[in-house]
Amino acid sequence: MVNTWSYLARLAEIEVGEHFYWEIGKYKVHGQVFLVSWFVMAVLIVASLLATRNIKRVPEGMQNFMEFVLEFLRGLARDQIGEKEYRPWVPFIGTLFLFIFVSNWSGALIPWKLIQLPEGELAAPTVDINTTAAFALLTSLAYFYAGISKKGLGYFADYAQPSPIMVPFRVIEDFTRPLSLSFRLFGNILADELAVAVLVLLVPLLIPLPLMVLGLFLSGIQALIFATLAGSYIGEALETHGHGEGEEEHH
Amino acid sequence: MMINRFLLAAVGAYINMPVLADSGGLFDIDATLPLMAIQFLLLAVILNAIYYKPLGDAIDERASYVQGQLKQAKEQKEKAIALAQQYEQELRAVRKQSQEIIAKAEAEAQKLVAEKVQQAQQEVIAQRMKAAEEIAKEKEEALSALNQQVEALSSKILEKILSV
Repeated sequence: MVNTWSYLARLAEIEVGEHFYWEIGKYKVHGQVFLVSWFVMAVLIVASLLATRNIKRVPEGMQNFMEFVLEFLRGLARDQIGEKEYRPWVPFIGTLFLFIFVSNWSGALIPWKLIQLPEGELAAPTVDINTTAAFALLTSLAYFYAGISKKGLGYFADYAQPSPIMVPFRVIEDFTRPLSLSFRLFGNILADELAVAVLVLLVPLLIPLPLMVLGLFLSGIQALIFATLAGSYIGEALETHGHGEGEEEHH
Repeated sequence: MMINRFLLAAVGAYINMPVLADSGGLFDIDATLPLMAIQFLLLAVILNAIYYKPLGDAIDERASYVQGQLKQAKEQKEKAIALAQQYEQELRAVRKQSQEIIAKAEAEAQKLVAEKVQQAQQEVIAQRMKAAEEIAKEKEEALSALNQQVEALSSKILEKILSV
């Protein structure tokens, strides 16, 4: 039974938890994650360079598309953080969205499995818990930074708003946020790739297609959710409540 | 083997992480995490320099350009409307003025005509009176001449009768 399974698994090349290790000094890193992430970064950088090579007042082609993307990212940040303070956060939230989105879609659209590695397999960087945890921790750092840079240590005093009972919940939230962020993204993308791989293993033709389309949709949604949540955490940290300043107006 | 390992890894992660700690696994957290974070920040900085900033500036610049053009167009429109109103007012004033001039000219002309007619009538009356006087005078003269002739003739007739 185990033998049959492993044979079939080899056919469909589901290699979960196998990593292509690179040794840097005494540290180990997952080479397959970096290879694909470099591809993703290259895609983003080349697209940016193409879009900004010749900026015109009336945009054309790539510039038009990338401006549309930028407007979308700005809208995303603006909706969560508010008109006044969203601008400095556009690069962070925008890069989160773009990186996760391009990663997910590259995992879903490019047959990475055709490229053989000595160990492990190429896949979207977001199926590795390290990537998603890194983004989640960066998000935590970002919102702490946002809150502390705006209100100083008074940011932590806000934990007792509107009542001191909230303090333990707020502290727990600080831990659950990165956990939920990283596991949501990781779990969704991994589950999607696994589901597609298992279906391919069972019925190689046509049947997996709807699931693949669903996977594309899901990948986009996950990127949107991650970026939106990051924005909303930052926005919440920046929000001034109580102290007679009133709620910020959102547009 | 792989699936087996996946299950083991998944179970191991929840129950007993170190089971697969040496041989990798689904939840194998290592130096990939900090390196990925650094790489991500680097990407954010690069994209900020080559994407968010230049294109954002382009978008903002265009927005302000469009707003400026709109404002300018609005101003021009207002100016045009004001100008049209001014022209209309001037036109109205000129028309009124011209009507006044025409009315004045008509009144003057009528006055002139009336004067001339009156003058002519007076002249006619005067001439007619003069003619009537002349006629009366001539008539008198003629009558007196006739009287004399009648007297002369009657005295001659009388003489003839008496002398016969």
